[in-house]
Amino acid sequence: MNNSELDKILKAAKTPQQSTEFWNQFPRRVTSRLHWKSAAVQERAASRFPQLAWLLAGVAVCLLLGFFIGNWRGHHEATAENGLLQNEKVIKEMLAMFPNRVRAVVQDEHGLNVVLSDKDNMPVSTPLWIKVCDGKRCAAMVTFSGQDVHIGGRDITVLADAKGKIILASDKFLWSNGQALVGEGKLRIEAKTLAPVVL
Amino acid sequence: MVELDEEKHWLEHSRQGDHAAFENLIRNYQTMIHSLTYRMTGSLADADDLSQETFIRAFQQLASFRGDSKFSSWLCRVAVNACLNWRQRERRRAEVHEQWAGDNFSSPVPEEGGELLDENARNVQAALNRLPAKQRAAIILTVYEEMNHAEAARALGCSEATVSWRVFAARTKLKRWLKPADRGMPGR
Repeated sequence: MNNSELDKILKAAKTPQQSTEFWNQFPRRVTSRLHWKSAAVQERAASRFPQLAWLLAGVAVCLLLGFFIGNWRGHHEATAENGLLQNEKVIKEMLAMFPNRVRAVVQDEHGLNVVLSDKDNMPVSTPLWIKVCDGKRCAAMVTFSGQDVHIGGRDITVLADAKGKIILASDKFLWSNGQALVGEGKLRIEAKTLAPVVL
Repeated sequence: MVELDEEKHWLEHSRQGDHAAFENLIRNYQTMIHSLTYRMTGSLADADDLSQETFIRAFQQLASFRGDSKFSSWLCRVAVNACLNWRQRERRRAEVHEQWAGDNFSSPVPEEGGELLDENARNVQAALNRLPAKQRAAIILTVYEEMNHAEAARALGCSEATVSWRVFAARTKLKRWLKPADRGMPGR
């Protein structure tokens, strides 16, 4: 059997025919289902609207709560950090606990840490409060002039003169209070001299 | 056959949600789609359902018809896809039935309308039913809808070479099953 003979047999096979009435009604049956489907879709959408509204309202409330709590906590932590490191009594107790050994008291995302010298040869001088933020995180410390400290992932030399001018220097930037930062532009640095500690 | 301008007019209105315009399109292609779905399923009841399903899907997907092929070809594609999905649903349903029916399960090839068909038609349909669904679709589109292989490839969403292979494989089997000595026993 060749292809044309096969096609002839295939094409000669009729399919069962529906009645004329069936075909007359068929288009209307389809469009009725379309009406029904679109009505069902609208009904579903309508019935979903209050649920969707409640869901969106819930999400909005959660976001607002999260924002306010985060804001309050951030503010609260910043205040506590500043307050703790700038609290003369706390610094005094640290220095008394480790006489001539305290190089710095650091507060960062890991908490409060005391950096001690191997030898008890640290001179007593005016404490300096320093805060370094790099856009992602902030770290603050109390240290003394002449110290090489590690803060905010950087090794920094801290220097201060008798007039209260503070200079922070690292291999990547140079900063002093009253002058623009040279080097890492994204850093935000604050520094000030704290009240002298009398042990 | 509907004049092309008239068909364009109905298509345009159907796209805008005009059901009356779409009824005109249905009227022109309903027997073609019904024959195609019958040949794909071998069941009159399923052909009725799948024809309706085809036009409903077509209405919902009218925006995707860009007019770069004939509307009838695009409609055939929608119908064939509906039938192939139906085959998958049927297979899953049959598997479930088979699990429950055990050895008493019989092949789900309905014979509605059989009394209206002559022996040749029954034999041909039985042979078509035996083909894998994709080969059957390739034969139906190329023989009954008279599409060339490129058009059939677009309709089936495969390459022209795949269509050619499916048509060749299907023809080889159909010739064997429908040769005069075997006529009347295609279901073996």
